[in-house]
Amino acid sequence: MKTLFNLVLLAAFALSANAKEIKLLNVSYDPTRELYVEYNAAFAKYWKAKTGDDVTVSQSHGGSGKQAQAVINGLEADVVTLALAYDIDAISQQARLLPADWQKRLPNDSTPYTSTIVFLVRKGNPKNIKDWDDVIRKDVSVVVANPKTSGGARWAYLAAYAYALEKNNHDDTAARSFITKLYKNVPVLDSGARGSTVTFAKNGIGDVLLAWENEAHLALKEFGADKFEIVTPSLSILAEPPVAVVDKNAKRHHTTEVATEYLKYLYSDEGQEIAANNFYRPRNEAIAAKYASNFTQLRLVTLESEFGSWANAQQTHFADGGVFDQIYQPQN
Amino acid sequence: MKTTKLKQLIIAATLGTQFTLPVLAADGAATDTNGTASTEISAASAGGGSPAQEAEIKALKQQVEALVQKVNALEQQAPVDQTATISDLDQKVRILQRQREIDQDAATAKAATVPKISLGANGFSFSSADTNFVLQLHSVLQFDTRTFFHDDGAKGVDGFLLRRARPILSGTVARDFEYNFTPDFGGSQVQIFDAYTIYHGAPWLQVEAGKFKPPVGLEALQADVNTSFNERSLATDLVPNRDLGVALKGDLYGGAASYTVGLFNGASDYNGTVTNTFSQNSKSVDARLFLQPWKNSGVNALRGFGFGVGGSYENDQPATSVATGLTPGYTTDGQQKFFTYNKNVYATGVHWRLSPQTYYYYGPFGLLGEYVISDQHVSNENVGGAQNVDVHNTAWEISGSWLLTGEDASYNGITPRHNFDPRLGQWGAWQIVARYADLNVDDDVFKGSAVNVNNSLASPLVSADRAQAWALGLNWYLNKNIRANVSFSHTTFGGYTGPKTGVAGQPENVLFTRVQLAF
Repeated sequence: MKTLFNLVLLAAFALSANAKEIKLLNVSYDPTRELYVEYNAAFAKYWKAKTGDDVTVSQSHGGSGKQAQAVINGLEADVVTLALAYDIDAISQQARLLPADWQKRLPNDSTPYTSTIVFLVRKGNPKNIKDWDDVIRKDVSVVVANPKTSGGARWAYLAAYAYALEKNNHDDTAARSFITKLYKNVPVLDSGARGSTVTFAKNGIGDVLLAWENEAHLALKEFGADKFEIVTPSLSILAEPPVAVVDKNAKRHHTTEVATEYLKYLYSDEGQEIAANNFYRPRNEAIAAKYASNFTQLRLVTLESEFGSWANAQQTHFADGGVFDQIYQPQN
Repeated sequence: MKTTKLKQLIIAATLGTQFTLPVLAADGAATDTNGTASTEISAASAGGGSPAQEAEIKALKQQVEALVQKVNALEQQAPVDQTATISDLDQKVRILQRQREIDQDAATAKAATVPKISLGANGFSFSSADTNFVLQLHSVLQFDTRTFFHDDGAKGVDGFLLRRARPILSGTVARDFEYNFTPDFGGSQVQIFDAYTIYHGAPWLQVEAGKFKPPVGLEALQADVNTSFNERSLATDLVPNRDLGVALKGDLYGGAASYTVGLFNGASDYNGTVTNTFSQNSKSVDARLFLQPWKNSGVNALRGFGFGVGGSYENDQPATSVATGLTPGYTTDGQQKFFTYNKNVYATGVHWRLSPQTYYYYGPFGLLGEYVISDQHVSNENVGGAQNVDVHNTAWEISGSWLLTGEDASYNGITPRHNFDPRLGQWGAWQIVARYADLNVDDDVFKGSAVNVNNSLASPLVSADRAQAWALGLNWYLNKNIRANVSFSHTTFGGYTGPKTGVAGQPENVLFTRVQLAF
């Protein structure tokens, strides 16, 4: 009987000692594909060393607004890493999958890295585009995604708007006129930032791409530095892409712990290095200094200083019937 | 080349007719290798004139030079403009192409969220884009005739019959929950035949609850639209038809084994009415195990072989109402009652059934057989009636089929190789079917009837204790949805001592026809 008991005990230990196989789904926005491919591998290695468990992270990418809507509609994300806080707020408010104060759970309002909007132009800058005033010239064709579906496009829109406000002593009418001229120069609106990069770089459309800084660098890497160059405008916006655990999904999948650690690890030295390597501006100052050459210094305004909050910006500019709907006329 | 000629024309027009010939003569010589017109005028054309003429020539020469310069300037400018135009056009084409791609992506994304509607041989289906929610509408219509022969007009009524008229609502909710709601408008009253939901946890574990067929009889479990004959055999008289309950079921080893075990209210033998509420405290445990060991093997000759056993067990409690738990009667193929219990006879104690069963399908050949025991304790509350008699009724059947047109026979229906279409010389599928069945009621049911029919459980003056039936038929499958058939059934009886005009007074001979729509 004792032998039998020992065997049962041994079997129980053997079973409990088996490594778990954990699966996570990270629903993210368009240009983070490469970042999270590298980061997921690093995290899996870290987690295996720490716990012995195997973790596989699946990625889903698209326009940030579309991705948020997909999660609201049932896409079972364990974590979301979207382009702007408003999209995660929408998940919280509409689907109640995470608490309203989700942004307080991680440092820097749950934004482990930042970015901004720059210009990508064709090599030699044939249209001599140097600042925002140039992108509203009649002879310039601009490529940017749809701000109603793309987080990056919303940042780009707000960057341009902020420039126009600054230039016109915060005259909203003048800023609106500026943004109208800008979108008159946009021949096609993709639904996501990656799509607009394809439009500009692969399809050869337009003279300038309003791009995430990391996406512009990626385009140089992908398509060749002999084909494009980055132009940094005099002013842009500090884009703060946030991350969050989708509590209810993670709880249902029994992945809350690993999902939380997955996001926390973005703030680690390794996580920050990977972000910097992928041209996201790291929060860690030492690592930011180390990678300073990756990022041109420019004046960055914040969303809060120019537009109050995401709720305000969304309501005023991007909601149905907002400024964007009023000023944008699709080209035929 | 065109611009060169243009320049020459300009020069000629400017110099006038007296200089036309020399200029034309200089054609070619006045053009350099770059196609640029020379500004030199032939000396021969200018020599020998008056000073006034020379002055005029000089002025003209200057005009020509000015014009040539203009043309040269235009020549320089033209390629740039053309390049710009081509570039603009190229951009426009690229934009249109990209816009088309974006529109296509948007259309694809939108299509993924649009509910789907389909209509076809499998009925009408409406589903959410992710197919997690499905609503299907099917219907079963069976229009029959029954014609009784040699019955002296005393047996069944000849005529038309709407045997089944069932709209079927089925589908899934939240992906894993199947549902079915089947009312029947055939016959004389509207009834709910099936109303159940099945949770599909895994192929090997499903939970079914509601009103549905208990897992006992093989022929009873076959879908109404797929049975070989218009009416099921005598063997099915001894198994439950439908009941209310909950069951666990599933398929193991890729369907090589399937099981069902459930708890039910407890239904009487086949023809009893099943109400939608409960009527007694006791419950019936019904179960069935069916094996098809070669289903997934490469042995074609055995893939369609299956065997199993179904059964039920119920401990009927005495009830105040008569005939509770008892069948209202066993019926012939012609749906006439040849056996009924006497008044004030009801079920008590244990009722169990056992049904070993098998089928075999190979190519166009089909065979189905089952044996059923329905053992029930019955009491007679009439004065002098026997108490708690163990009535052991048995029945069996065997039916065979052959598809003349070569299709594969199946427990789950026939799909013609070629749908009926006389314009193409196609006639659907044709099948011949044959069946023999035998039902034996326990001899004890007539015990005591010689003294007083009320002392027995059933009266031999009214009922027979045995029926044997053979049947032959021809089935025509016009397509997957339409079937027409004709069959003849002959039933003989034993143990009956009543008048000749009774159901069992003489053999039953019935000709059936049917037109069936299953959609």
